Amino acid sequence: MKRWRVASLATTAAAALVLSGCGGTGGGAGGGSGGGKGELLVWVDNTRMPAAQQYKKAHPDLKLRIVTIPPDAGYVPTKISLANRTKSGWPDVVFLANPAEAATLASEKFGYAAPLDDRVPQSVRDGFTPGALDTCTFGGKTYCLRNDIAPTVLWYDATLMKRYGYQVPKTWAEYQRTGLKAADEHPGTIVGAVNGKYGAGIYFGSSGCATRDTLSLTEVHIDLGQANCTRVADLLQPLARKKAVTTVVPIDPGFAKFGKGDKILMLPAPAWFGDFMFGPAFKVPGGRIAAAPMPTWPGESKPYAGQVGGGAFLVSTHAGERTKDAADLVRWMTTDVSLQAKQPTYPAFTAAAQKWGEAKSKDPYYASDPMPALIAAADALRPGFGAVRFEADWQSSFNDTLVKAVDSGGNLRNALASWQDKLEAAAKTTGYTVG
Amino acid sequence: MKTLTTPRPPAAAAPAPVTPRRRRRPARRAAVWILVGPYTVFLVVFGLAPAGYALWTSFVDNGSFTGGHDWVTVLEDYRLGDAAANVATYLLLWLPILLLTVLSLAFTLHARPGRTTSALQLVYYLPGAVTGSAAALLWLFMVSPDSSPFSPLLKLLDVHSATEALSGGSVIAVLTVMGVAVHAGGWIVVLYGALNALPKDVLEAAQVDGASAWRTMWHIKLPMVRTYVAFVLISSFASGSQVFVEPSVLSTGAPGQISPTWSVNQLAYTYATQDGDFGKAAALSLAMLAVGVLAAWIVITRTRMYATDSSDSR
Repeated sequence: MKRWRVASLATTAAAALVLSGCGGTGGGAGGGSGGGKGELLVWVDNTRMPAAQQYKKAHPDLKLRIVTIPPDAGYVPTKISLANRTKSGWPDVVFLANPAEAATLASEKFGYAAPLDDRVPQSVRDGFTPGALDTCTFGGKTYCLRNDIAPTVLWYDATLMKRYGYQVPKTWAEYQRTGLKAADEHPGTIVGAVNGKYGAGIYFGSSGCATRDTLSLTEVHIDLGQANCTRVADLLQPLARKKAVTTVVPIDPGFAKFGKGDKILMLPAPAWFGDFMFGPAFKVPGGRIAAAPMPTWPGESKPYAGQVGGGAFLVSTHAGERTKDAADLVRWMTTDVSLQAKQPTYPAFTAAAQKWGEAKSKDPYYASDPMPALIAAADALRPGFGAVRFEADWQSSFNDTLVKAVDSGGNLRNALASWQDKLEAAAKTTGYTVG
Repeated sequence: MKTLTTPRPPAAAAPAPVTPRRRRRPARRAAVWILVGPYTVFLVVFGLAPAGYALWTSFVDNGSFTGGHDWVTVLEDYRLGDAAANVATYLLLWLPILLLTVLSLAFTLHARPGRTTSALQLVYYLPGAVTGSAAALLWLFMVSPDSSPFSPLLKLLDVHSATEALSGGSVIAVLTVMGVAVHAGGWIVVLYGALNALPKDVLEAAQVDGASAWRTMWHIKLPMVRTYVAFVLISSFASGSQVFVEPSVLSTGAPGQISPTWSVNQLAYTYATQDGDFGKAAALSLAMLAVGVLAAWIVITRTRMYATDSSDSR
């Protein structure tokens, strides 16, 4: 009889353990329930942590809890989706390392991102780089503030350019000629990388090809049959045949062999490549890399830039009475000049970008001051490159179609047609009507 | 079970030998409950209840009946076909290779027991111990010809960068290698344990009869551990058809190279986490559960897995 009791006790204990374990994880997902007694819950990545703590120190009266989140794509939507399910645990402010996720978080299904038009004055929003807030804007409402932007410039190796006797191209036609010449005269030399967001964002983004032109939260314009798409295919086709562009993704450790072997003549790439890729990853020695504005497309004089990266802050619709504090924190984090001047990547706020550039201009790593090119790029963000819910598919479908064609020597114009089909399918499954 | 509960005639209650037996009867019943109880609790709490909840979620949204709309949308999703084809190819490659690796290594360890045996078991187990972002980095470097210890092999296969290894059709090969390396170790330990538990007299008899090591393995050891092999098959089929970690880990290391909906399980995860649609996620998860249960039923009935020694009179 004693053992019976032991058995039932053990079973009860196990059950209790299981049940309490279940209950425990339900509420606390992602570091606590937002809005516990007026406490402002803020989720930021590791890089933004010191800034958030600085804000906390400056506001001793404010009850503020800061939680670190990983910058992985999809992390924030995952956590918010769970919070929506349990109807608790939303952060009041969240940093997006992948700003395209704003489209997910602002969607009707998630209902998480709050419009900031009434919370952040127009005068402040006007201080951002023109077009920087396009990523945050759906149907005329602004759902987030950009922390940093990643406009593309034409990075080049000034030493190689001089050694080979080439000029830095001003137009894409010149770029193509230089690339083909370099491939002939100096085999193995590359002038670009075509893979994932680094191909789609840089070339198609700068050309204004409508691959993800968000009209609202439920409408997207995709039309790869237009001239501003086919001209990119025509630009890349001969370069691909001569292997003057690589399909190795720049974040692949194998990309370093191009840098170590003096094979990177030019690389149209986002602003942050200057500090974070050429030296640390590609092992290009100091004093060689310089930046030029993106080449111009036929009939245009502005060096339109694509975008690859950048971050954004958004405020929760569940913040309630903490909304004012949340909006203030977001405003400060994105627009405080002295704070933004110290951040690692190009600030989205114009005044801060100028201050940020003062240090960059003196950086001995560069062959010449990269700031004029970076500023020109920030001033020429190609409109229409919006945040979409099918960002991941946008990348993998690009690889499945165009990159595959580049690799196999296929026809890029034909690949555009299949990319169009895949983009449309991806857009429709994520709740868009394609116009 | 029945024989335990059959009441015995009081005449059989002879003092010395039977008293302990009579005491053991409720005790054994208690033991059965102790052994089965926690399992039942876990089965209900982590198996049946979630499955029931998933069924509810897939048909009811915000209190209103959706009439199987989620099921239809999932089955019509263009990504499901690709994902299912990916997983099927993966299973076709991975399951036989895994099974062969596990069997051959476990039998080799058992045929030549020695001091190195336990060390080797640990070595086989190690790849599975590296998880998360560390695993992502590790495997990214493994498939990068510039840093990989297997770079001669990669170059032989005409792979010049990690991007190449992870794009197009070659990703399935990488996933297979990864899956075998991660899962084999645990199963080798299980199977080696099963081989060690085989009755020594049978093996000795085989030896006396002059059976070679190969014949002993094929005709004695393998039939005796076949239920374990079946178990490896069922579990591996279940985990393989739900493959999630390997493609996710690889895509963390090389974003954009592998579709976020490469496998069926990833698609279900995407429904719930990126689309915020738990109904579709539940429907797809249940469909996968059905496939797993069906496979388990086939393997169990075909291998007579639950046949006990007494009933197994061949």
